[in-house]
Amino acid sequence: MARPAVILVGADKGGVGKTTVARTLLDYFSAHHAPTRAFDTESPRGTLKRFHSEITEVVDVNEVADQMKIFDTLGSAAAKVTVIDVRAGLLSSTLQALNDIGFLESAKKGQITFAVFHILGPSIASLEEITETSRFVGDASYFLVKNHINETSFFDWDPATYNSYFNQIKNAQEITVPKLNEMATEQVEVASVPFVQFVANKNLKNEAANYSFVLRGYVRHWLGQVWGEYDRVKLVDLVSPKIENTVRQVAG
Amino acid sequence: MPIRNSVIIVASPRPRVGKTLLARLLVDYYAQEGHPVQAFDLNSGDGALARFLPEQVTSSDIADVQGQMALFDLLVSADNTIKIVDVGHEAYESFFALAHRIGFAEEARRRGIAPVILFMISPDRPAANAYSILRGRFTRATLAPVHNEMLGTGQLRDRFPPAGRGAALLRMPALAPGLRKYIEQPPFSFSGAQLANAKNIPIDSHIELQRWLRRIYLEFRELDLRVLLADLQSSIRL
Repeated sequence: MARPAVILVGADKGGVGKTTVARTLLDYFSAHHAPTRAFDTESPRGTLKRFHSEITEVVDVNEVADQMKIFDTLGSAAAKVTVIDVRAGLLSSTLQALNDIGFLESAKKGQITFAVFHILGPSIASLEEITETSRFVGDASYFLVKNHINETSFFDWDPATYNSYFNQIKNAQEITVPKLNEMATEQVEVASVPFVQFVANKNLKNEAANYSFVLRGYVRHWLGQVWGEYDRVKLVDLVSPKIENTVRQVAG
Repeated sequence: MPIRNSVIIVASPRPRVGKTLLARLLVDYYAQEGHPVQAFDLNSGDGALARFLPEQVTSSDIADVQGQMALFDLLVSADNTIKIVDVGHEAYESFFALAHRIGFAEEARRRGIAPVILFMISPDRPAANAYSILRGRFTRATLAPVHNEMLGTGQLRDRFPPAGRGAALLRMPALAPGLRKYIEQPPFSFSGAQLANAKNIPIDSHIELQRWLRRIYLEFRELDLRVLLADLQSSIRL
């Protein structure tokens, strides 16, 4: 019986591309045939829900009923991987809530695989968030994601400072998400389809679309680079050790 | 000749090897054959091709994404037009880097378009290196080396082996120096009517030009047939 996996995707502030990263994760797991369900904490209708409506539900992690919806069904759900897109600024408080309901305890006992994708913003406050989250994370896999969303020179923190935060977490690893061309990003937004579907030139109804070939190429190349990072940190092995590595060649 | 979709990319990392001349000849050849043909000039600033054939040439710039979309999205549209791209030596690196990154040759094949790269060979090492990089990266394209005999580099052919469906060396025979001046004044089209009406060309030069043109057009026809045949063979095999 495969162990359920829960991935939290969060950030200390908005606009750092947290939901973009969540979308690449959903596409990644889909390409690896790992059934995944997603919970979007932006209400009333979040971005994640817009792009992946079939597998995404909108919830409030602080509502008991929604907590039950997510966590009581971990073992029974067909989708063994759960991705939770946490509202910006609520990463620490969500971890606190998970602690309170005993979820982190189950994770520590090895009953559930737990991982955090912390999307970093360019300011130092992003790093300071790590001090908060490290209280809860323990042995869980913790991915510090440098998402290059615009041209601003990013992450020029003092290396010593950065390392001091990095080392506060036991299983911290770095992931780099390169910049995707703005026009490509925009067209994907307008199309409102998952990245993989955009690359395949399919619209919302899965019919042939008419997206720019050049922009599709940019997205495919970018997605390939992002998935390369997920390959590097052996994400598939982490969430579903029993599932073979059969990837559809949709990315770079 | 049956209508087919082709994109013919004329390129060299070196300047002044006869790219634009070849592009001009291709445009006029296909026009004469009755094919709708469109040409794209990636020679920054220079715009030589556009000056010779103002009706059929679009100046392109791939420095920004809009320019890239304007060119490549059009190149992969199967609209029964032959498309000739004159890649200036300055645009060489970025053009092929982009084409490789977005999977141009694969997409062209997917849409029934034959991607053909005509590489002007030259004696320098960088050209030979550039050629082998193209061979490695564009396995779905027809990569044909072009020997411009006006440059006299026949002995180098082994550095530029043809690769891909229907590929073979293309010869551009030398044109006598005395005749070159007649074809170097823009605007100028090799198409039958214009050449016939060019009153400033003495009759024997005219005959010589026609002979030269016929030899070149024969090379183009053979390239066309080879690519077509290779296409047919592979679709039968499928």
